[in-house]
Formats: sequence, C-alpha cells, structure tokens
Amino acid sequence: MARITAGVASSHVPLLGVAVDQGKDRDDYFGPIFAGYDWTREWEKQEKPDVVILVYNDHASAFDMTIVPTFAIGCGERYKSADEGWGPRPVPDVIGDPDLAWHIAQSLILDEFDMTIINEMDVDHGLTVPLSMMFGQPEAWPCKVVPLAVNVVTYPVPSGNRCWALGEAIRRAVESYPEDLNVQIWGTGGMSHQLQGPRAGLLNREWDNKFLDMLEADNDEVRHIPHIEYLRETGSEGIEMVMWLIMRGALGKKVNTLHRHYHIPCSNTAIGHIVLEPADEQAVAAE
Amino acid sequence: MSKKPTQNIHEYLAEFEDIPGTRVYTAARARKGYHINQFAMSLMKAENRERFKADEKAYLDEWDISDEGKEALLARDYNRLLDLGGNVYFLAKLFSTDGLSFAEAVSTMTEYTFPEYREMMLNGGRSPEGNRSIKGGY
Ligand SMILES: [Fe+2]
Repeated sequence: MARITAGVASSHVPLLGVAVDQGKDRDDYFGPIFAGYDWTREWEKQEKPDVVILVYNDHASAFDMTIVPTFAIGCGERYKSADEGWGPRPVPDVIGDPDLAWHIAQSLILDEFDMTIINEMDVDHGLTVPLSMMFGQPEAWPCKVVPLAVNVVTYPVPSGNRCWALGEAIRRAVESYPEDLNVQIWGTGGMSHQLQGPRAGLLNREWDNKFLDMLEADNDEVRHIPHIEYLRETGSEGIEMVMWLIMRGALGKKVNTLHRHYHIPCSNTAIGHIVLEPADEQAVAAE
Repeated sequence: MSKKPTQNIHEYLAEFEDIPGTRVYTAARARKGYHINQFAMSLMKAENRERFKADEKAYLDEWDISDEGKEALLARDYNRLLDLGGNVYFLAKLFSTDGLSFAEAVSTMTEYTFPEYREMMLNGGRSPEGNRSIKGGY
C-alpha cells in the first residue's frame, strides 16, 4: 500500500530559483534563507520519497485566461521547465507518475472532487523552486512528481475548507493504491506578500507565524480562515497559503513538527517552510 | 467532514473593495481585462516581443483593447492597468519584455522609488497596521 509519510510546505519565490541557478544561494542576502532548508535537504536524503504530490499554482506560464481550472492534476509522463520570460530554468525535466496520478484523479472524482486532467504542460517556478530548495542541484530529480495545480489567482479561489477536504481525499486515494510507495505531499506558495497596487510590499510576520502554529495544532481550525482574512492580513498574494491546507489536510488530525523556518524578506515575500509528519495512523480509517 | 453554509457571493465580493491599495482579481476584473492580459501573454513568444518592441502602438492595435487600455500599456501605468482588469502575473510578461525585475516593476505601483522600496522590504516590509480595512481604519 502507498502511504503519505510526510508533508512539507514552502514558499516558491522565483528569485530563490535564480539564486540557486546563479550560485548566489550562500551570499549575505540568500544565505539565511537557504540555511533554513539545510535540515530538510539532509532529511530528504534519508527519507528518499518515491513520489511527491506537489501542490502549486501556475503563474501565467502553462495557463493563460483561456482556461482556468480550480484543481488540476498532472497525469503526464514528464514536464519541462517553463520559459517565464527570462528563458527556462536550467533544471532537470520533472518526471511524472502517470499510474499513480490517474489513480488519484479517478479516486478523487468518485470522491466528488471534479478534477481537471492535464497530460501535457510546462511547469514554472511554483513547482521547480520547491524542488531546488529541497533537493539542491542534482542531475535528475530524486523522485517522481505528481503536479497538482490550484487556481489562486482568479477569484473566487477555492476555500481553505475545500482545500483541506481535498487533502483528506488525496490521502484516501493514496492509501488505496496497491504499490508500496513512500509518498510525500508538498504545499507551496506564500507566505505574506503583495505584488500589486499601492499596498504592495505588505508583510505580516505575526500573522504568518500564527498560521504556522495553526498548522502544527492537533485540530483543523485553520481550514476555516476566510479569504478576506488572508487578503487583509497577508497581502493579495498571501492567498497562496490555502495550498498549504491541501498538504495539511492529507496528514490527518495530529501531526509532529520536524522542522520550521521563517525569514523576511526574499524580494517582495516572507519565506516560510515547515516539515510535518502524520501522528494519527487512524485518521483516515475513522472517516 | 464539516459543513458550513454557502457564502453569499455579493457579500463576499463587497468585502474586497474595503482593502486599501488593492485590486482583487475578481471575475469582473478578469472579464474587463481579458484582452489586456491575453496581449501580455502573447509576449511569451520571442517573435511577438520583437514585433511589439519595433512598434508598440501598431502591435496594440491588433488587440481588442480600449484606447484607455492602450494608453495605460504604452505608459506602463500599472495601477491604471489593475483598474482596467490587468493582473500582475500576466503583466509580468511586459516587465520581462522591458527587462525589469519583478520587484522594480512592483515598486512603480507604490509611493516609493525602487531603492526606497527595497529598503522598506529589508526593514521588514510594509506594516499591516492601518492597511487592512478602509472603513475600519485598522
Ligand atoms: Fe506563487
């Protein structure tokens, strides 16, 4: 049986990818950010996940306004790094797991989550930056990836509650997959940032840390934070944090915190990173 | 699974207008700015970037964009473009066409010069104090 063994959340600021690609990741500006990922890089080497379900959003790279899927799952064989206007990042192709992805897609649809299926797309910094943060610069990524793209740009975006419930359904889907796989789920984006309008540059250390506390808690209160609170407190782009709730929902009620890191600023954004493991084996069976 | 009552869409949208200095990318804005955003996306292709740079006005005239929208694009007036339904992730294709970093382009929407904006970010960013609600003033 496949199992979700851990959840990881991380910001996916494009500038972090630039820092890695240009070898600036240990300079005075980026050093303190990357130091917060050293623990996780070592841990990932020991954990050796077979597959990562990587929850992220596309930033006008694979999708334009022609089609706006709320939840979309990548069922393809492989994905190339997208050209976001500065040339594609020089990172390995992302290798999919079509069998597992289709199994999850089918299970989710039967579980009443009406997923969009993607067979071909390029993946942008939302997906490749977290891979670089967790794995550095290998010749090939050390695991397969199932991309799960969420609309967090055009409103209404999905509610925190819905994201959490999707995470729960993903866990049920993974646990009904016969192959013995070590699966991690990652939620990416955030934390506080605003990239538009006269209020641009807003950061909120206090609220971000409260959100991290809520993720660590043995309850699901965090799923009920309304969109307006993210918008007021964390800037217009802080809403990306609803994607972390898909990760958190997949871990069950109780979690252990393995690692936590917070740093301000990275360009326009507050960097947050947390590693959690499920502590409640019965969470799904009890549904 | 917990069930909450469905939120009323009108109340949900009305609250967005109470956030200072912010244009939430609602369906209404997405509709209004559709051609502005699709124009920006066309700059993903090198050949289109070249044609645009050679004659910006002529390239814009190929699109179903209002005169006001074209003026705002030519002037790189990003706050005006947000009002006209532009979204920053799409407009970013124009930043990169201009060779501008994301942060520098973002700073043009604020009261600060780029060096001042960078300084604010290094000092912890813009405080949420007084920036959460127009009506509430908190
Ligand atoms: Fe993002």
